[in-house]
Amino acid sequence: MSSLNLGLLFSRIRVEEKMLIKEARSRGHEITRVDSRELVFDFEDDYDIDILLERDVSHSRALYILNLFENGDVPTINTYRTARICGDKIATTKALRDAGVPTPEVKVAFTKDSALSAIEEMGYPVVLKPVTGSWGRLLAKLNDRESAEAVLEHKSQLGSYYHKIFYIQEYVDKPNRDIRAFVVGGETIAAIYRESEHWITNTAQGGEATNCPVTDEIEEICGSASEAVGGGILAVDLLEGKDGLTVAEVNYTVEFKNSVEPTGVDIPGKIIDYVENVAGGDKQ
Amino acid sequence: MKINLGILASRIRLEEKLLIKEARKRSNIDLRVVDPRKITWEESNLQELDVLLDREISQSRAYHVMELMSRTGVKLVNDFETVQLCGDKAFTSVKLKKHEIPTPDFRVAFDSESALKAVEDIGYPAVLKPVDGSWGRMVAKVGNRESAEATIEHKANLDSHYHSIFYVQEFVETGNKDIRAFVLGDEVVGAAYRESDHWITNAARGGESSPYPLTDELRDIVGATSRVFGGGALAVDLLESDRGLLINEINCSMEFKESMKAIDEDIPARLLDYTIGQAEASEEVAHNKCLV
Repeated sequence: MSSLNLGLLFSRIRVEEKMLIKEARSRGHEITRVDSRELVFDFEDDYDIDILLERDVSHSRALYILNLFENGDVPTINTYRTARICGDKIATTKALRDAGVPTPEVKVAFTKDSALSAIEEMGYPVVLKPVTGSWGRLLAKLNDRESAEAVLEHKSQLGSYYHKIFYIQEYVDKPNRDIRAFVVGGETIAAIYRESEHWITNTAQGGEATNCPVTDEIEEICGSASEAVGGGILAVDLLEGKDGLTVAEVNYTVEFKNSVEPTGVDIPGKIIDYVENVAGGDKQ
Repeated sequence: MKINLGILASRIRLEEKLLIKEARKRSNIDLRVVDPRKITWEESNLQELDVLLDREISQSRAYHVMELMSRTGVKLVNDFETVQLCGDKAFTSVKLKKHEIPTPDFRVAFDSESALKAVEDIGYPAVLKPVDGSWGRMVAKVGNRESAEATIEHKANLDSHYHSIFYVQEFVETGNKDIRAFVLGDEVVGAAYRESDHWITNAARGGESSPYPLTDELRDIVGATSRVFGGGALAVDLLESDRGLLINEINCSMEFKESMKAIDEDIPARLLDYTIGQAEASEEVAHNKCLV
């Protein structure tokens, strides 16, 4: 593999970005840092990079910048399409359903009254999620009508119009854990259990990571989920329900710092392998 | 053959009244008004529609409903891809620029400091616009550095994350007027000037209409724009500049009550013709597929 000029889109260098930079440099690639906070996109600048690897913590920035670079004919990981679908839970559910990938039951409503009817129809408990959001923020488990009314009212008073779209997911009665699988170019390279006494198992919320063996079932469902959302480098969140696995979410700017040790898999190495493949002309 | 027509609308403005009245006159249409506030997805009887015409006033609701209804076999006016592009000014500008369709110069930035750089780069006066706004709301003309700093700081403190995307456009001096052209598929149906005492000429801000001729230049640039944006029923806003006509914005689910006064065409009737034509064309395709 000849050496690449790899553009790294970021707004904060976290542990993950340091690991990726170190890995890429050790293979002789050059890193061009693209700080989204400093970027002024005018289409005239010649970004002399072979490929852009998106690692921005902000979804809205990532989404726009991927679109701009793609239109400027710079290949990006992930693609704008993947970012758009994974960054929007309605779009994710739609893509997974259309592809026949098992997901928890979902309803979408556009006012707090119709949201309440949808919740009652689904039956308690349910989970209310922001259409755009990460790290388990503003997830609400609603156990009864009183709590549904209270949370819906508060939510509809939040400023962003995004909180006027109600995404309601069936609560899957699972062990106190979920599975996060790392999928790179369609292949499931590693998986962890995220365990917590709280129903929100995100490691950002204190969930603990242990290795989860990649079974055929995990491999298969993650492969189809990856294809449904447009492929790339993904973290697929799986729930273990009584009828088998379902895909709860798919993340496109993958955090992996707590997963390298328990899984023993060189995740940054696999990511840079994939970057090299795509830059070398492999189809995403 | 009867066509099951859905009109997606939570508020019945004059435009929707005219469309509904026209649809009820026609014996080949079964009309259903779909209020997004009253439905929850997934509602199966939406699948029974042949075609869904988006007339929803809330852009975010329209966006999600049109995405959920895509790939269901129901013909959409407009296609979700078109809705996505037109609903965002940055994506619109990028698409136009990529296809070399004349448009005002623009920049996109993602932070208050770089936004100020983008404004200074464009030069004063510059125009700051929300990427997803309508009716001229929060469109700001900044004439100097002080007003740029103040506007950017206020914008950065607004709630929606969309306000952390800074879209900066060159100000084109047009003498407080612009042109709105209506296009249905590949046909430019009519055009009108919108003129105002204020530099923001939106009808919602008091802009008034007068006729604008369908010149070759207008047909060419609007036709090219429609092809790039996937066709559909669009209102294209243009600016007259010393470089010729420039495409300023493209609107899905357009308002037309003000422009109707200056355009000698029955716009609601034409829009319905187009919508029904789309449904019939996709039925024909489906029918032919069955025969094969």
